[in-house]
Amino acid sequence: MYNEDRNFDTDQLLKEAFTSEPEFKLSENFTDLLVEKVEKRFAWAQYLREFLIYLSVLFGIMVVSAVLAFVWYNAKVDNWLSFLASNASLVIGINLLVVFVLFADRVLLRYFMYRASSE
Amino acid sequence: MNDAQLVKQVLNGNNHAFRFLVSKYQRLVMHVVGRIIQQEDELEDICQEVFIKVFKMLKRFRGDSKLSTWIATIAYNTAITHYRKQKRRGELSYSEQPNLILAEKDPGLNQKSIEKEEAKKYLMQLIESLPVNYRTVITLFHLEEFSYKEIEEITGMPEGTIKSYLSRARKLLKGKIEKVARLEQTNIFVDYV
Repeated sequence: MYNEDRNFDTDQLLKEAFTSEPEFKLSENFTDLLVEKVEKRFAWAQYLREFLIYLSVLFGIMVVSAVLAFVWYNAKVDNWLSFLASNASLVIGINLLVVFVLFADRVLLRYFMYRASSE
Repeated sequence: MNDAQLVKQVLNGNNHAFRFLVSKYQRLVMHVVGRIIQQEDELEDICQEVFIKVFKMLKRFRGDSKLSTWIATIAYNTAITHYRKQKRRGELSYSEQPNLILAEKDPGLNQKSIEKEEAKKYLMQLIESLPVNYRTVITLFHLEEFSYKEIEEITGMPEGTIKSYLSRARKLLKGKIEKVARLEQTNIFVDYV
């Protein structure tokens, strides 16, 4: 029969159970995998940020050049617009090519080189 | 290195500092996430997600609370979001009320003599079968030794609710283990002082 006087301490047992490590575990290389993942993301974000800075600088140079052309060389907006309208595909093509080359150079190639060196 | 220095180093792009941060807090994140999710196959992915969030949001950490509390908050929110998604998809049976019937049916308990370690193991199974809020506050309070105030900050539960969960969980588990000891008529706790 159950004996009330039996020597046991459920409070102590509960305390031990509450403070015991649960059975689930993370893999041994959890930190390595995580740091590698974060490094890749950090590298990608960093390269992308640099690409956007380059793009902004290029755009800034173009704007300054246009302003100078209007101020010093009396450039006409109508002439520019007609040139752009008649050569639209060429202008868009060159711009896209420049942006792609810049993106490939500053982001894609650097990222793939980084990945290749880290693997 | 204190937490403020550690955060500064990580923000400066020091990979070793981030590695140190992960090593220092991975146990905390694993406990919080593990107790909520209870699925080993998803545990690692969610813990990774937590640390990636920590990395991304670290610049917003102002030091108003301890870094451990801040990380635990992210871990709790991430895990509870996953838990709710699972619940919505019907992958979990969810009840706010404690349901210890499953644990009661454990065949391992039918042995006549249960050693102290087995009794503890049984209790830990009972803890895992408690509702998610109970498991969370037990983990944060007993295992990670956060104060009521910190648990309130982490989970958003009022202090009174936290105390109530802790006390009810304790009472439930105590009643359960004593009942088992009576039913089994074993010397389950004979060596236990």
